[in-house]
Amino acid sequence: MVGLIPIINIVWLIPAFPLLGFLITGSAYKRLKHRQAGIIASAMVFFSFIASVVLYFVLRSSGQESATVTLFDWIAIYNMNIPFAFLIDHLSLTMMLIITGVGFLIHLYSIGYMSGDERVNSFFAQMNLFTFSMLLLVMGANYLVLFIGWEGVGLCSYLLIGFWFKNPMNNYAARKAFVMNRIGDLGFILGIILLFFTFKSVSFSEVFSQASAFQSGAPVITMITLLLLVGAVGKSAQIPLFTWLPDAMAGPTPVSALIHAATMVTAGVYMIARSSILYNLAPITLNVIIILGLATAILAAVIALRQNDIKKVLAYSTVSQLGYMFLALGLGAYSTAIFHLTTHAFFKALLFLGAGSVIHAMGGEQDIRKMGGLSKTMPVTYVTFFAGTLAISGIPPFSGFFSKDLILSKAFEHSVLLYIVALVGALLTCFYMFRLLYLVFFGEQRLPGHPHESPRVMTIPLVILSILAAFGGVLNIPSFLGGNSNFSNFLQSSVISKAPEEISHSTEIGLILTSLVLLSLVILLAYRTYVRKALVPAEEGKSIFFFNRLIERKFYIDEIYTEVFEKPFGFLSDFLFSKVENTVLDPAVDGIGSATSGFGTLVRRIQRGNISFYLFAMVAGILLFIIFILIV
Amino acid sequence: MILLIILIIPFITGLSLLLIRNSAILKLVALISAVANLLVTLSLIFSASVSSYSVDWISFLGTKFTLGYDGISLIMLFLTNLLFPFIVLAGFKRDQNQTPILYALILFTQSALIGVFLAQNAFLFYVFWELALIPVYFILLLWGGEGRRNITLKFFIYTLTGSLFLLFGIIYLYQLTPGSHTTDFSAFYQLNIPSTTQVWLFWILFIAFAIKMPVFPFHTWQPSTYTMAPTQGMMILAGVMTKMGIYGALRFLFPIVPKGVLYWQNTVIIMCLIGVIYASVIAFRQTNLKKLIAFSSMAHISLMAAAMFVMNYYALQGLLFQVISHGVTIIALFYIVNLIGERTGTLDLSQMGGIKLRAPNLAILLLLVILGSIALPLTAGFICEFLMITGLFQQSVWFAVFGGLTMILGAVYMLYAYQRVMLGDLRAGFERIPDIRSLDYIFLIPLIIIILGLGIFPQPLFNMADESVYAMQNFLKPVADSILAIIR
Repeated sequence: MVGLIPIINIVWLIPAFPLLGFLITGSAYKRLKHRQAGIIASAMVFFSFIASVVLYFVLRSSGQESATVTLFDWIAIYNMNIPFAFLIDHLSLTMMLIITGVGFLIHLYSIGYMSGDERVNSFFAQMNLFTFSMLLLVMGANYLVLFIGWEGVGLCSYLLIGFWFKNPMNNYAARKAFVMNRIGDLGFILGIILLFFTFKSVSFSEVFSQASAFQSGAPVITMITLLLLVGAVGKSAQIPLFTWLPDAMAGPTPVSALIHAATMVTAGVYMIARSSILYNLAPITLNVIIILGLATAILAAVIALRQNDIKKVLAYSTVSQLGYMFLALGLGAYSTAIFHLTTHAFFKALLFLGAGSVIHAMGGEQDIRKMGGLSKTMPVTYVTFFAGTLAISGIPPFSGFFSKDLILSKAFEHSVLLYIVALVGALLTCFYMFRLLYLVFFGEQRLPGHPHESPRVMTIPLVILSILAAFGGVLNIPSFLGGNSNFSNFLQSSVISKAPEEISHSTEIGLILTSLVLLSLVILLAYRTYVRKALVPAEEGKSIFFFNRLIERKFYIDEIYTEVFEKPFGFLSDFLFSKVENTVLDPAVDGIGSATSGFGTLVRRIQRGNISFYLFAMVAGILLFIIFILIV
Repeated sequence: MILLIILIIPFITGLSLLLIRNSAILKLVALISAVANLLVTLSLIFSASVSSYSVDWISFLGTKFTLGYDGISLIMLFLTNLLFPFIVLAGFKRDQNQTPILYALILFTQSALIGVFLAQNAFLFYVFWELALIPVYFILLLWGGEGRRNITLKFFIYTLTGSLFLLFGIIYLYQLTPGSHTTDFSAFYQLNIPSTTQVWLFWILFIAFAIKMPVFPFHTWQPSTYTMAPTQGMMILAGVMTKMGIYGALRFLFPIVPKGVLYWQNTVIIMCLIGVIYASVIAFRQTNLKKLIAFSSMAHISLMAAAMFVMNYYALQGLLFQVISHGVTIIALFYIVNLIGERTGTLDLSQMGGIKLRAPNLAILLLLVILGSIALPLTAGFICEFLMITGLFQQSVWFAVFGGLTMILGAVYMLYAYQRVMLGDLRAGFERIPDIRSLDYIFLIPLIIIILGLGIFPQPLFNMADESVYAMQNFLKPVADSILAIIR
């Protein structure tokens, strides 16, 4: 890297800090005091954040757009050369800043949230390990290093979902998450292998520079992108592999904020944006992504309408927002997807941490029907949560408005129908979020007790995140509002978006006004239902409408998966063992054995203990052997 | 000469153990011998010169006592001598009957295994192959668990039957050699056997190895044998002896009957892949922890066998890497299983639960080993699985898909097993279970360092095998090319 300050070579420090934190808190988990572990873990992530910021300025001042730093040759055999290398460019820097920045706030928050838990030190060790893996994922300069991080975050997700391992339900949820991710990972690794055979390399720079030799729609590129997509679908919880994410809420709330909202689940979005050059060559795959993304966005939003667990609502909302990111990816608007990823990281982390603060105050209660009136007792949480709700609903000037509006207008460019469906999803989002907000913070307190505001170590991250969620939109102000789309331009060097068909400013303003009017109506509807009428959702299963019950039961998708995959697998396992192994294969061999021993009884008659006979047989045998050798 | 030293150190030590009464000293001597042998082996690996050893043996049969090695032998030798110190160590601080005999038998096995991997002569190979069986047979019979008599008999007859086919094959090859016959491998490799003969000779030679590995459907001796075997016997069987099958197949099949291999290639690969899925599915619902791991081992070995028959560079490198990785992982697993059994008094998964609450460090180490077993990146397991699946992919996408299912199924049964043992609420009666002790750390930490170390720096092992892998795949290449030419 000519012209780049050698300081870039210390980029390995960025993942090394949290790795060190993991090693310290992990190996000394019995000795460290809880507060010490929390401080060490948070500090390590903070150091990474500082280093990322420094790196950002170094890269900017160098005038270069990207830098590759190779640590060592990982696998170098025959014609396969896979170095352990980092790629620092605008896309990875964006992700690194999100991971370490938001990650640090969540670590800090966890000091307060997890205090009192007896395994705090293990918690922080695993959170640091997660941060390390996630950094590897976004910093890797080739698909295989990316895959290390990819599986690493899956492991940490498994560990942290099942953090409270005494409860079998948590362990089941953890396993479910890991296995569903592994299903995706099989597709992913096969995609990487096909990539290798196609390009004789798996490193981004090689693959992307060679990709231009392929025509748009080349079958092999379509196949590669589809296989990689399978991985992304698993990791980013899209149809059909999304059911693990709501269950993942079994983990502590900071985990939900960090892993299952802000960072890990967006890895699929990152990976596809990173592979934008390949995806641009595969129109079929892009269409598949549009359909999957939009279907997921709507389905999850519908399910969220009738969830009563505060974290489940947010979980389905995450699935739904990931669907929007996929929609943007499918439309070829990769930088828009990353922009929504960024704002989503801010407001969804905020919402989850706010939810955590509420759960903390309610003594572990997660049912929103039992909450209410918390705005008086928890003002900071209330205000910040409000900011998050406005942001996710896409109310200007909050950050979600900018990113979601961009996706909607891209959808409009593509087709009006797509726009309408996406808009409906946005309205649903707005409704369930305000339903949540009203039920939790408005009206009367429905449970006896004295909820209290959370300690400062928890509220400060909330405040910072709410500022980011509120004003994060300024990163990317579109031209019709007088901005110059800084964020999208920043990513242009690493992400090749499909040529945008500019729609006129007047159309765009028209679209925004339409959605604003509709959003206000939806908020009004939610207000009338849950504040004016003070309606509390009915008990589950009590609803008279079939459709409502269908939504409450999440369209029975979990049940269907259990019946179609899980149970038959168990039956198959039992069947193969008891029927095939124990009644066919094993006895068959024994049968041969007993047939032989039957033959043996015949032969036994020869063995009469007559030594001269033995000698005779031996000599005869030797003679036969010698004759055999001589003849042939 | 150094090869002869490596071969006889364990044997001589084994003999001398019979004279020692104090079992603690005796175990220490055995350990020192095993470690010394490992060091000598390492010096061999790192030395630039190639050594070999040859003396006349049975001259009228044209059989010499020839020891030598190539990259593949070296990997196998390294595996054997790497694992035996741990296998010996596994018995430390444990009450065992008849320790002198037990440890002598263990070391005899080591010698015989080394002989198998160094023999450059088919007859010598066969002698060591059978010799290895005898001490193991006694270890299983005398120190085994419930039902050992019948199970051991079955194991013995099963493998012996396979060996008879092999013996027949060797004699057949012997009489094919020109001039005054010989059983040298090098002479066997020069034979140009007609393709029709190769087609049936393939099975004669393969069956012994298929049973030893074992490959579906020749595996039925394995689960019950592993289940009743004493820990050390199980480690020898699963860690090293399964690789004898792989090694034998590599030595005999590809160079000698390449046309036979090509003829049966896809059949055998499909058989192996059925074995992968079959064993993985069965493992899911096993209630006996040892049996579960036996089936998981079978799944891994079957994938290795499939990769072997693909016979391209990636698959073969992955396979040889897995030889080490599987050996290390499986003995670590069996050791932990043994620890769990000692602590809880049961191996029944339905009787366990919540052990992590009492033994968190044991749980962490078990999880690390499991991660190696399910091939998480940065463990050795990932390197081999990635390369083997890449190799399978080159042959057929579907082979890669079905082989790759281990990634999913392995996670399914291993994490389920982990949950049933370690997680959940503590079972009544487990309140006083101790966490692991310093001796267990001495055993497990080095193995885990190897698992992670090879996952991060796999290159030394690649370099060790590189040349031989080239040579091996080249046995098939001309044949495959000529067939392709005919087809065109």
